[in-house]
Amino acid sequence: MRLRFVWQILPAFFFLILLTLLLLTWLFARNLSNFYLEETAAGLEARARLAAFQITDSFALDHSGRLDELSIRLGKETGTRFTFILPSGAVLADSLEAPERMENHALRPEIAIALTGTIGQATRYSNTVHKNMMYVAIPVQNQDHLLGVVRAALPVTTIDQALGIVYRQIIVSGMVVMLIATLIGTYISRRISRPLEEMRRGAERFARGELTERLRVRGSEEIAALATAMNTTAYELDQRMRTVVRQHNEQEAVLASMVEGVLAVDTSERIIRINRAAAALIGVTPEEVKGRGIQEAIRKADLQRFVRRALSARDPVEGDIVLHGTEDLYLQAHGSPLRGESGQELGALIVLNDVTRLRRLENVRRDFVANVSHELKTPITAIKGFVETLQEGAIKDPDSATQFLDIMMRQADRLNDIIDDLLILARIEQDSDQGDLPLTEMSLINVIESAVQACASMAAEKQIHIEPFCPTTLKARINAPLLEQALVNLLTNAIKYSQQEGRILIEASRSDSTITISVRDWGCGIDKVHLPRLFERFYRADKARSRKLGGTGLGLAIVKHIAQAHGGEVTVTSSLGAGSTFSLQLPARTQQHQASLPSAVPTTPSTLPPAED
Amino acid sequence: MAQYLQRQIDDLKKRILTLSAVVEESFHQAIHSLEHMDTTLAQAVIERDTEVNEMEVDLEEECLKILALHQPVAIDLRFIVSVLKINNDLERISDLSVNIAQRTRGLAALKQGPIPFDLFAMAEKVESMLKKSLDSLVNLDTDLAREVCHLDDEVDAMHKDNYGLVKNQIRQHPEQLDALIEYLSLSRHLERIADLTTNIAEDVLYMVDGEIIRHTY
Repeated sequence: MRLRFVWQILPAFFFLILLTLLLLTWLFARNLSNFYLEETAAGLEARARLAAFQITDSFALDHSGRLDELSIRLGKETGTRFTFILPSGAVLADSLEAPERMENHALRPEIAIALTGTIGQATRYSNTVHKNMMYVAIPVQNQDHLLGVVRAALPVTTIDQALGIVYRQIIVSGMVVMLIATLIGTYISRRISRPLEEMRRGAERFARGELTERLRVRGSEEIAALATAMNTTAYELDQRMRTVVRQHNEQEAVLASMVEGVLAVDTSERIIRINRAAAALIGVTPEEVKGRGIQEAIRKADLQRFVRRALSARDPVEGDIVLHGTEDLYLQAHGSPLRGESGQELGALIVLNDVTRLRRLENVRRDFVANVSHELKTPITAIKGFVETLQEGAIKDPDSATQFLDIMMRQADRLNDIIDDLLILARIEQDSDQGDLPLTEMSLINVIESAVQACASMAAEKQIHIEPFCPTTLKARINAPLLEQALVNLLTNAIKYSQQEGRILIEASRSDSTITISVRDWGCGIDKVHLPRLFERFYRADKARSRKLGGTGLGLAIVKHIAQAHGGEVTVTSSLGAGSTFSLQLPARTQQHQASLPSAVPTTPSTLPPAED
Repeated sequence: MAQYLQRQIDDLKKRILTLSAVVEESFHQAIHSLEHMDTTLAQAVIERDTEVNEMEVDLEEECLKILALHQPVAIDLRFIVSVLKINNDLERISDLSVNIAQRTRGLAALKQGPIPFDLFAMAEKVESMLKKSLDSLVNLDTDLAREVCHLDDEVDAMHKDNYGLVKNQIRQHPEQLDALIEYLSLSRHLERIADLTTNIAEDVLYMVDGEIIRHTY
């Protein structure tokens, strides 16, 4: 048990005071009683001598009557007991007792000494008066002849009484001193312990983290020095804490703003750290998964496998992870072991890179190469086949030779178309990359009309009615030949996939920031699985039919590139069996004056002479 | 000793969650392969089944070992019993995913007509049930588990309707018979998986509440 400061000081005080008092009392009492006894002894001796002087002449047995009377009288007047004793030890007279009743005193110590001729002295308990008495005996001599002994005695109880009074006073004053000492002790201990108490509270505040608080520097030198030292400690701690917190925040910020997902797990596969990018990739929030096991928090088998691999490997590992969800995500993962300062294993650090887009682009590129080779190969194979046939003798048969040459011509045209389209694509890409595609502000209606005209013959073949709607005043910054090409491509597609006697709507309109030209048909429509890839080169929703209809597979890719060259985009909405709508969105840069915007003027219906696109 | 038991139970939990992730992935990939007619992916699903089977056996042995060694009571016992059952259910789901993947391979070789019912809507529903039942297992969420039990009725109803729809289609286009039969069995597989997710949800309810609620829904 810990004692309060005051309880440590007071006992010491009390002990010291008690010791002092006892020592003083003892010394005082001893001196006092010695002094008293000496005084008493001297008085008794004087009285005994006086009495002896009076009785020297009559010191004999025969004068016992007178002596007795004298002893009683002297005793009464001086308050001292006198005893006259013969050298034989027989008592001649006594102040208090009849001599005949008293025994022989020769053996009493004071008498025995007096009988040898010197003064005897003794203090003892008297059976006669039942008190502590001091006896002084002197020999009575007459010319070297010992006549007897005179003894004077006084009770020494008065000294005990006097000492008792002294003792009582000392006890009382001792208590007073103790009381004062208690007060002083308490005061001193308070004075010492109060600043300590204050310091303790201050230290507790520091422990709670209130490091900006300061202790008051006061009190004794030691206490003040302690307070200063503690204040310095608090300041230093505060500085260090701030540094640590700042560094921590910096690290957090670095981690959080990384584009790559970062995930740290400990050896028992618990998530220690996860940054926002990783959480977003996985589809969780950092707060809900931190501290939980990876199996529990992230139910992605591929990722779990990779984490296990990273934990069991000594060297960094690399791998591809597929995260299944509404959209599959392809991640490239790097895992490396986390090691502590002394090299002990702490877990593993996983860095996740989203390569979904990259993967998709890679697929596009691979498909393009495969497609372009295939598309070029088909006509060439046909041409080669017919050439071989001709070489083997068919050339001599004019009918089949003509027929074969026609087919070869068609295939060569097809090859030419494909290469033309590829060249167009390449040129648009190059131009828009270099930014030198000439754009001029001009009316859209002319472009739309010429596009409709270009497709008229094809439409007429299937008896399809094309309905253009365009405000006459609608203008945009365009490259007319390219935009016409895009519209022709869209219209051609619409015609190809519409039924006989169908209708196609081509419409231009303007909203705040965009001009939209949409081509709508009511043909067979496109399955939604094809929509995302529709604008890729050589992508065909229905391979067999598309080729039969004579497409190069590049039409929509060209449209897309033209839209992009204009700073716009092309979108499509479609549903199977209900037709499709392709919309070209071009940015409307200048706010132009358009009074007659809402009035859509139908332009000339397309029953124009046929023309090849 | 109690600490040792706790460690083993934690390990068991880790294993069942790992298994659940693998099974969920298998199912997802089976459906994905079906949707995109991706036979390579289907093959991967079929091959993964061996891994699942091994995990199932290991997990079961681990459960039995704990039961024999520690003779656990109350929540620990319920947990282990539930894990034993969920383990079984997960393995069955994996088997059914393999069946779906096999259907993919079968269908890829056939001339396909339109599917007479919305197979992928049904698959999506079953996948969400599987996800919910596993989420309820991870978080011991009884509300979610109950939701799964109710969702099963919807899938059962869908399967029943599909029967009629396929029958009609067979009458109209008897030449597509082979593909249609495949579709019908796919519907049945999905329905079975939905049942198994319900079982998992019920086991979760048993684990948490200690009450067997089977056959009450």
